Amino acid sequence: MNKRLKSVSIVLLSLVVSTSLLLSGCGSAAPNTPQSTATKKDTIAIAIPSEPSTMDVQFADDGNMRAVTDNVIESLLTLDGKTMKVIPALATEVSRIDNTTWDIKLRPNVTFQNGNPFTADDVVYSIKRIIDPNFKSNIAGFFATFKDAQKIGDLEVHIITTGPDPSMPTRLTLLDILNQKEMLASPDKIKTAVSGTGPYKIASWMKGQRIVLERNDNYWGTKPAIKTVNYRFIEEDATRAAALRNGEIDFATNMLPEYVSTLPQIQTAEGLEFSLVRMNAVSGVMKDQKIRQAASYAINWDAISKSLYQGYASIAPGQVLKPSYFGFNKNLKAYPFDLAKAKQLLAEAGYKGETITFVGEQGRWLKDGEQEQAIAQMLRDAGFKVDVKMLAFSQWLGVLFPQDPTSTPPDMIFTFHSNDIYDADRTYSTYVLTTGSASSYPKTLDAQIIAARTELDTTKRQQEYEAISQTLYDNPAWLNGINIKDIDGMGKDVVYQPREDMRLKVSEMSFK
Amino acid sequence: MATYLLKTLLKALVVVLGVSLLVFVLTRSIGNPVNTMLPLGASMAERARLTHQLGLDKPLLAQLGDYVVGVAQGNFGESWWQQESALTVALRPLPFTIELSGIAVVISLVFAIPLGILSALKPRSLLDKVASTSSMLGICVPNFWLGLILILIFSNLLHWFPTSGTGGWQYWVLPSVTLAVLPLGRITQIVRTAMLEQLRELYIVTARSKGLPEFWVVTRHALKNAGVQIVTMSGWELGRMIAGYTIAIEAVFGLPGIGSLIVDAIGQQDFPLIQAITFVIAICIVFLNILIDLSYPLFNPRVKFK
Repeated sequence: MNKRLKSVSIVLLSLVVSTSLLLSGCGSAAPNTPQSTATKKDTIAIAIPSEPSTMDVQFADDGNMRAVTDNVIESLLTLDGKTMKVIPALATEVSRIDNTTWDIKLRPNVTFQNGNPFTADDVVYSIKRIIDPNFKSNIAGFFATFKDAQKIGDLEVHIITTGPDPSMPTRLTLLDILNQKEMLASPDKIKTAVSGTGPYKIASWMKGQRIVLERNDNYWGTKPAIKTVNYRFIEEDATRAAALRNGEIDFATNMLPEYVSTLPQIQTAEGLEFSLVRMNAVSGVMKDQKIRQAASYAINWDAISKSLYQGYASIAPGQVLKPSYFGFNKNLKAYPFDLAKAKQLLAEAGYKGETITFVGEQGRWLKDGEQEQAIAQMLRDAGFKVDVKMLAFSQWLGVLFPQDPTSTPPDMIFTFHSNDIYDADRTYSTYVLTTGSASSYPKTLDAQIIAARTELDTTKRQQEYEAISQTLYDNPAWLNGINIKDIDGMGKDVVYQPREDMRLKVSEMSFK
Repeated sequence: MATYLLKTLLKALVVVLGVSLLVFVLTRSIGNPVNTMLPLGASMAERARLTHQLGLDKPLLAQLGDYVVGVAQGNFGESWWQQESALTVALRPLPFTIELSGIAVVISLVFAIPLGILSALKPRSLLDKVASTSSMLGICVPNFWLGLILILIFSNLLHWFPTSGTGGWQYWVLPSVTLAVLPLGRITQIVRTAMLEQLRELYIVTARSKGLPEFWVVTRHALKNAGVQIVTMSGWELGRMIAGYTIAIEAVFGLPGIGSLIVDAIGQQDFPLIQAITFVIAICIVFLNILIDLSYPLFNPRVKFK
């Protein structure tokens, strides 16, 4: 045997030995994994990427928590999962009395899961708790316009706002109603086992292992088909996919496009987030409108969607709003990919190859780093000289939301923007209004944004936002990116249509 | 013995304090956690308010003072992210991590010791070459990849074990085997080297020449003396796992260990929790090292503690 062959055979043998060691380590008396063979299935196992940090819905901004609590706790109003129209939940009627007072009529004969009746006291308590600055709620910003809440009758509440607030109905879809009596009796219970009015109640939470929900048989609304919900926490995407293939779980959120072909069934919905590249329209090279337009023509979003996300992403329609959001301008279309036009605009602007700083981060969103590199390369192809600075998430945040408002913003910074209140105000108040936390746009639109934010006539308000979006299209504040679709993996027998608002509602699930 | 313990504990105190101080300074230099806690679109006023409420607008020395006073009273503060005592949150995954790491080290020892001895007895033999190549493979294979491959084979194809989660003994098999592969490789090599060294010693020649059966020569004499190195190495592996090396295994198998907790705490920039976890881990490592030291006389009675 020559030397080379000998070493090859040693490597091969070693492989065999190590595998057999592994096999023997695994033991022989292996049981079968629990297969669900019951004829009538009424228990669903759902895998979410990580364990919720708390059950205190008023405190945390935590998607994993919401995947559980959205089935347990309800808000005054809610959204229709398909149309995103606001519909009644714990409130039956919401009306405006004057510019700053809203009257809320509450649903009668509703009880919390522990038997306490639902009354105006619970609503007043919930509002006062979340707007209390000492409570340190991470989502208090959604209710920044709330000044006070007053009990009018057992089933009637007034909400007082600091000024006219046209987004009140949407805000009420985010306001979770807590059980006042329970909260006062045992204030710490909400961290682990809150009792709400929703279709499911928390049966147990074994930290690190699982959360179990049971159907609330006294629920005021339609009785859900599924009786028991078992949440598991599996961080690794490939493992969630493997567990789904094995039938260990019936439903898994956040699946990667790469795994789609291996899964029994998938359903998708457009997410709430758009990627965008904010440009510095105030100072530096990008101050020139033509250069920002050139950048808008330079990006081939279709290629990014297809090559990075296997087509599970849609291109922003000339604005980072979805058609279902308030203020959507249906006349806008995405900038076409036109390299010649981009080069021509750059030449007209007299761009001489000044370096453009492009700030990015990595690992917060699906393939964000890859998307940034692709965008930077496409800009280079159009003639830009791009210097990509990849920062750690916290550093990147410090650049996007500077502590010092007078600091100079980078020429370009990549982010994903999520519109939590489905309203154009959220986007424009943050990224365009000069007092916004992430603005690098001149004052020109400030007056219009402030007017629209307090306009109570919906038709007029809609027109105002359409005008703002048009201006931002012509004189861009950012490159409109893409919306990555959320992919839910499911067992063959699960029936569910993911909602437009991304909430996971077990009450809308059933088995075939 | 008493002086030794006193000295060691004093040293340990210095180590734990040093680690805590370092972590305190490092956490404060990775940016404002308020930005991670609040939704991306939060206003400047909201950010400023939360910064103030968390006491992060105080000078660094004042924050350090608060922290030291708290720790002296056994109070690490409340986890910002989980709204619970940071120490409680930090201690919660510890039993699980210790159990998983312990099982993995036992598995690797069970295979590494015989494999290492056999290789040392016949150096350069085929068995030796196979053993060292496999142990090199074990060291080189990334464990998250190995974990996924094992899931594919033993869960998806053979249906022997569940893919992930916790429960009966079958849930422990894939994660602990995956975790054991790297220490298995390393300990095999340590056993081999240590045994080779011992087998060359004169006392082995004596033992052999007085007609002691080879089995006893190897186990009672050579292995016992090699024990110090083997225990040190195993302890080191165990310490590494407890210090968060299990992270990839936890992520792949959906397990509630200390590794994912550290990463989450850092991701959330939850300073009190990061401080509590590093404190707990530092204590564990120090304690483990003392245990290892104390075990030396079992293998070598000449070891004296001063």
